[in-house]
Amino acid sequence: MDATEVAAVLARARLGDSEAFRTLVERHSRRAFQLAYRMTGNEQDAEDVVQESFIRAYRQLSRFEARAHFSTWLHRIVANCSVDLIRSRRARYDHTSTDDLGSMDQPEADVPNPERLAASAQIERKVAAAMSDLSPLERAAFTLRHYEGRSIAEIGRTLGLGTSATKHSVFRAVRKLRAALEPLRGES
Amino acid sequence: MSRHYSEEDLILYYYEERPRSANIQQHLDSCGQCAAAYRDLVATLKLVATPEAPDRGDQYGLEVWQRIRHQLPEQEMPWWSAWFRADRLALAGAFTVLLLAAFVAGRWWSATNAPAPTVGSFAVLAPSPAAANDDSRQRILLTSVADHLDRSERVLTDFMNAPAGGDLSAEQRWAEDLVVTSRLYRQDAVQSGEASVALVLDDLERSLLEIVHTPSRATAARLDEIRRRIDAASLLFKVRVLGNELRQREDPQGSRPRTLATQTS
Repeated sequence: MDATEVAAVLARARLGDSEAFRTLVERHSRRAFQLAYRMTGNEQDAEDVVQESFIRAYRQLSRFEARAHFSTWLHRIVANCSVDLIRSRRARYDHTSTDDLGSMDQPEADVPNPERLAASAQIERKVAAAMSDLSPLERAAFTLRHYEGRSIAEIGRTLGLGTSATKHSVFRAVRKLRAALEPLRGES
Repeated sequence: MSRHYSEEDLILYYYEERPRSANIQQHLDSCGQCAAAYRDLVATLKLVATPEAPDRGDQYGLEVWQRIRHQLPEQEMPWWSAWFRADRLALAGAFTVLLLAAFVAGRWWSATNAPAPTVGSFAVLAPSPAAANDDSRQRILLTSVADHLDRSERVLTDFMNAPAGGDLSAEQRWAEDLVVTSRLYRQDAVQSGEASVALVLDDLERSLLEIVHTPSRATAARLDEIRRRIDAASLLFKVRVLGNELRQREDPQGSRPRTLATQTS
């Protein structure tokens, strides 16, 4: 699909043409899922975020500026939907991540993999647990900076934060991760 | 030696967010304490590898659409759209009609002696070459969609009659091919203004996708669940009726027998 066709599809979608919106959904879902998965760290949550993001995007299409890229706009919606979902999960299952961390400290006697593989799996689990201990904004800012390679300025625009607040979210996230992963550093 | 850099400075340096990064590099080359702190930071951040998202196939976009299509809310309208609200448009329309009626009435009164129009002025125009071209394109589409519906009907029938616990992989491969074709025909149908055809193809796509994503040795309960949905949508009936209708339209002389009514939805 070239730029003219994309613009035409977007224009039709903005006029409420659901067929045109369907084209956008089909085109951008996979990328949206990847981002949602990195933001939430959970497959089912990522699915929920993708659906909610497209529903939100459809509702707000009139706010979308034609000269912007739809993918950039959607990226912002997915990031914010992820933050909302993590917040709501937090409210319901407060401190479950602490329990997860505790259970991860137990030695795993029945892991049949070679030592190196086991160590790598342990790091992965520990990182996942540490990530789930971050606040929603810290997690979002860190994910966008560390995994997605977005600049501080872009992250600020995406999450509706000032530059200073964005930087501090990243700093706090890194500090917490360092504290959680410190014991593993010798093993890796 | 200049002051030591803070953890925050080093984090920004790691992410290439710091201006004058050459100064930091220079400092790290000469200051053992800061170099050690930076190595420590990098070692931790290197542990945090980008998680690999589970793969989502080519049909994923379509699956997402099928899940959200019935949940789409009203779009928020821009402020200026208030001027185009239905009640205001209706009022403006009524006013325009009144004006036109007054104008026509005036013309009528002043032209009572004018000759009556001849039948010739309502002669039917011959179709233009462009219209003929559209017509042949339409016919090709009708034939292809009718064939596609025949094949889909066979897959659906096979699926509806498959034994529980049996291997469905052949039907699934077939259904997977049909999903792709179905989507292309649906888009063509939408562009050609064939709304009822597009609607049936849309329902068909959803059911074919369900078949594709069922475990190839599905339990009786799972099979029943999908079959109930296909039954509830009267999908087989719609596919059959639409196929017959399209055959009828592509062959209007009636050389093929017509077996069912033309109602499709």
